[in-house]
Amino acid sequence: MATAADSIAVAGRHAGIPLLGSIELVQVAVVLLASSAMLIVTMARGHASVHIVTERVSPAHAASLARIANLLSGLLFLVLAAGSIWVASDLWYGFEQTELLQIPLRWLRLVWIVFSLLIAARFLLNVWKPAR
Amino acid sequence: MIGPELIGLLGIALLLILLAAGVPIGIGLLLVGLGGLATLISPEAALIKGGVLSFEIIAKYELGVLPLFLLMAHICFAAGASRDFFDVAAKFVGHRRGGLALASIGGCAGFGAISGSSLATVATISSVALPEMRKAGYHPGFAAGALAAGGTLGSLIPPSGALIVFGIIAEQSIGKLFAAAVIPGLSQAVFYLITIVILCAFRPALGPVTARTPWPERLAALRKVIDIFLLILFVIGGLFAGWFTPTEAASVGVVSALLLLFLRGGFTRATVANSLRETLRTTGMIYVVIIGALSFATFISVTGITEVLSGAVTDFHASPLLAIIVMALILLLLGSFLDGVALMLLTTPIFLPIAEQLGYSPIWFGIFLVRTMEIGFVHPPLGLNIYVIQGLAKDLSLGTIFRGVIPFLVADFLHLGLIIAVPALTLWLPGVVGG
Repeated sequence: MATAADSIAVAGRHAGIPLLGSIELVQVAVVLLASSAMLIVTMARGHASVHIVTERVSPAHAASLARIANLLSGLLFLVLAAGSIWVASDLWYGFEQTELLQIPLRWLRLVWIVFSLLIAARFLLNVWKPAR
Repeated sequence: MIGPELIGLLGIALLLILLAAGVPIGIGLLLVGLGGLATLISPEAALIKGGVLSFEIIAKYELGVLPLFLLMAHICFAAGASRDFFDVAAKFVGHRRGGLALASIGGCAGFGAISGSSLATVATISSVALPEMRKAGYHPGFAAGALAAGGTLGSLIPPSGALIVFGIIAEQSIGKLFAAAVIPGLSQAVFYLITIVILCAFRPALGPVTARTPWPERLAALRKVIDIFLLILFVIGGLFAGWFTPTEAASVGVVSALLLLFLRGGFTRATVANSLRETLRTTGMIYVVIIGALSFATFISVTGITEVLSGAVTDFHASPLLAIIVMALILLLLGSFLDGVALMLLTTPIFLPIAEQLGYSPIWFGIFLVRTMEIGFVHPPLGLNIYVIQGLAKDLSLGTIFRGVIPFLVADFLHLGLIIAVPALTLWLPGVVGG
């Protein structure tokens, strides 16, 4: 969606037919993409981390460290979700929308809240289901 | 009562402990960032900051450039572009002394213009070039050293993932950062080429000559990379010429890469799905890191540490150059046990304001930071590129590879010195092309 919107906008601009609101379309696509990407990487346990210590301790210690890391990660995503709910509830009846296409932003906020809760749940699930 | 500066220092120490304990980099930064804000301001302020910041980042149009450039790279890999650059360079210079090592640097530079990552570059080019060099009788340490060093070109030559992340954290134009990276990236490759030529002149056994490839074969190989070359030229050239913004350039790049995949006959649902899957995984990882980094940056700015440190530089009447050299030494030291992204995200909020107060351009600082960070990819004990190569050639000991990389490390330090001494190398092009 982002690729199509931006590419058509570029082609249109150079052909003299500008596509208004392409930035807003990309913005919507990026919210969906970023939220789902963070969930996917969490499900794949692919987050960037430093292994210099964890590779040198016993497997039992490494598993304990991984549990703590997952617990902290889950709790922090719950904090992000709580903060996002706070902000969204304050702005819910403000009917925020994009400038040109008037895309309502509150639904995008809701998407992010749902995904951040899912990411938190996945991290917390990993506490009890360590990686093999 | 503990002052905010001390809380800042304790936060940095806690962050290092968390990272060492294997907590994901983004989560460690987020924990210290929000925890620090909760301590210094209030828990409510930290909670709201987390909510505001996370949505701001995921809804940021400019950050769309990252997944799109990643997708372009993954589609190009699927189109089989990875080994072509090395093949061409090997056919042109392989018959010279150390020619395959020269070709591997060329391959890394070419591949770096598609990929934005040092690890991807070293893994891909090494899988092709290392067996070739060993078959031709090259010294294994020399071959591995050239590849480990050459791989770092992927971090600097645009489009660079590290520069995109820096641009977002430091709120700098990604187009200008890409333009600024061109001359340092190319001159870095030249430094490596000179190193290989000098090494082979003194010890010809390091890189023996191979059979000369006839011209028709060379031209046939050249024809194979013309499409990729045109793609890079169009995307990066169009960005510098002002035809499109960085995000648009990446979108156009994706469409062009899909066209290239189709023309090369690799366009299947499976290849496109795989490229999308890989892109999403890397994107998700980077978004978490950026959310963490920006909350950490907010915490650091509230502590006032950077003002204290830059004040200390002024009070001691130290020259700005000395401050930058000290920063480089700290970065190299931290780079011994932190990986590149963590290093950049940890140090940008602290060092960038100091560098700006000392009169350095943030664009120059971004290039300096990424260039210093690159050295961490090859110097012991972490040197991730070394481990990637060792993973590909398990019979080579880490010691052999580290010894092989030493001459290239010398070239790296000389090149870093040049970037520090001559800022115009970095700042001339962005001034010309705008962005």
